[in-house]
Amino acid sequence: MGTLTLDGLSRRYATTTAVERVDLDVAQGEFVALLGPSGCGKTTTLRMVAGFVPPSSGRILIAGRDVTRAPPHGRDTGMVFQSYALFPHMTVGENVAFGLEMRKVARAERDARVREALRLARLEGLAGRLPRQLSGGQQQRVALARALVVNPAVFLLDEPLSNLDAKLRAEVRIEIRALQQRLGLTTLFVTHDQEEALTMADRLVVMERGRVRQIGTAEALYERPADAFVAGFIGRCNLLRGTPEAPGRFRTPGGALLPCLPQQAHHGQVLALRPERIAVATAGDGLAARLVAVTYLGAQTEYHLDLAGTRLLASAPTPAEGDPRRALAPGDAVLAHWDPAEARLLPAEPGDLPDDPT
Amino acid sequence: MAALLLPATLLVLGLLVAPMAMLFRISLNRYDAAQMMQEALTAENYLRALADPYYREVLATTLGVALACTLLALLIGFPPAYWLARMESRWKSLAVILTLFPLLVGNVVRAAGWMALLGRDGAINAALLGAGLIAEPWPMLYTTGAVIAGILAVVAPYMILTLSAVIEGIPRGVEEAAANLGAGPLTAFRRVVLPLALPGVAAGCVLVFILCMNAYATPVLLGGPQFKMMAPAVYDQFVRGTNWPFGAALAFLLLVVTLVLTLIGSTLLAGRSRSR
Repeated sequence: MGTLTLDGLSRRYATTTAVERVDLDVAQGEFVALLGPSGCGKTTTLRMVAGFVPPSSGRILIAGRDVTRAPPHGRDTGMVFQSYALFPHMTVGENVAFGLEMRKVARAERDARVREALRLARLEGLAGRLPRQLSGGQQQRVALARALVVNPAVFLLDEPLSNLDAKLRAEVRIEIRALQQRLGLTTLFVTHDQEEALTMADRLVVMERGRVRQIGTAEALYERPADAFVAGFIGRCNLLRGTPEAPGRFRTPGGALLPCLPQQAHHGQVLALRPERIAVATAGDGLAARLVAVTYLGAQTEYHLDLAGTRLLASAPTPAEGDPRRALAPGDAVLAHWDPAEARLLPAEPGDLPDDPT
Repeated sequence: MAALLLPATLLVLGLLVAPMAMLFRISLNRYDAAQMMQEALTAENYLRALADPYYREVLATTLGVALACTLLALLIGFPPAYWLARMESRWKSLAVILTLFPLLVGNVVRAAGWMALLGRDGAINAALLGAGLIAEPWPMLYTTGAVIAGILAVVAPYMILTLSAVIEGIPRGVEEAAANLGAGPLTAFRRVVLPLALPGVAAGCVLVFILCMNAYATPVLLGGPQFKMMAPAVYDQFVRGTNWPFGAALAFLLLVVTLVLTLIGSTLLAGRSRSR
């Protein structure tokens, strides 16, 4: 077990930069997820930690030891591959024992540890099977057991759930997290699925085009996103272009003046507002808006609003039977209200805003 | 579908099975100097081939050369086969064509090239003499080594392409997994790549072994008159000696020995790849 430190880690190719100056500290026993769209450099970062991709610059420290130039077999990482990469010619037991054999662990201890790992992974009785005789979920657990049995300093997971069906994925998510916490594993996890990252990780690293956009807990990223990309990537968010006027006032291109958190105008040019923080009402305070569409989703109802030419998405628990909001229909005039503290100005880079904020 | 197999089946029956059956029938006939052969049903040709020390030595030489060439082709062929299989650049198809390139030259032409290289007055001896490294021409042509080198150059492409097709099917991930679990490159090769490549090793060895056992032009041209392998010996009986029954018996002996060794070898390798 140990810590993991990435210090200015970069990987450049002839014409492109896959990873650009990534700094990250993963504490002992911490579960950190690298999250981002495909091609953001998260997998390259993980493969640099494992030793499969040589960094162009920067350093990698595992348990305080500089392993930047160490070969993959000298790094003491335990990796679960997206494809599982089980040895097809070895039984489940032989697969799990492989890492212990390489570490020259004595026969008796090896057998005991393999048995324990198979028990943890709920694979008792399957030790004699070949990987091809197992279901996808079982193969995935063999890959987990094989990586964990050697008690690696750092546990690496490369989209390990992407080959499982949705139901199994939700179960395995909880299982991996429980195992990681019980064993106190320092873990780096790569995924493009934000729900996976939010439910499993202590901290998330949001990456985009090779750079780290923000590092933080799920709550920090959701409540206080560093920029428009993070706001749009973690959860859903209305991202509005316009001009900050006075502190606490944001002018939309259509001329509406929206209340927001009083911030310095140079802080950003995009207003970020979560759909569920917008209250839609038929009477009382608020900005006048016209309802464009209403989407009933059972527990939730979504309201697509037009506020002086600006499109806003609001969502709320479906109102009770008899509530006037229950009868709202497209074309109706409504009032949109939010706490100014919920609307924040964020910096944005070209490409950070999807065309439709919803 | 079955009807579409008919032409091929007829072709095999007409052009392979029928001549083989005729050859086998001839091998049971008796040689007669005056009328070439007499109808008979005798095993004396086989008994003679097995009893005659000369032909036993020819068979031993053939086996030795074929085994040596197969083993060397495997050892020499594995690294380029691996490299070719793991190649990801757009030059890959060019590399495959280059591997096949030696096969575009006929065996006789190629052997002539080797003769020009290895002969008493050949390029190597000329260079060595010119550099003053040797005082006398070094006898390289008409040696077993020359024959092995010559055959190796013919069979290596078959070995490389057969191996590389199988290695390509081994996912990169399993090699990375082995390294991740602490296996150095040699251990990863021994424990993961080689066992998974065994079907390719078996197929490549069988193919190459059969080609070596039946080599004709290379042993004749590079081995010289004193050097005999089975295929040239069969030719001698048919064309020079006109002893068809004995030649047919030699041909069948070669066929049976090749077949038996191939079966034993591939059974052993298949067994290993299953148990490991």
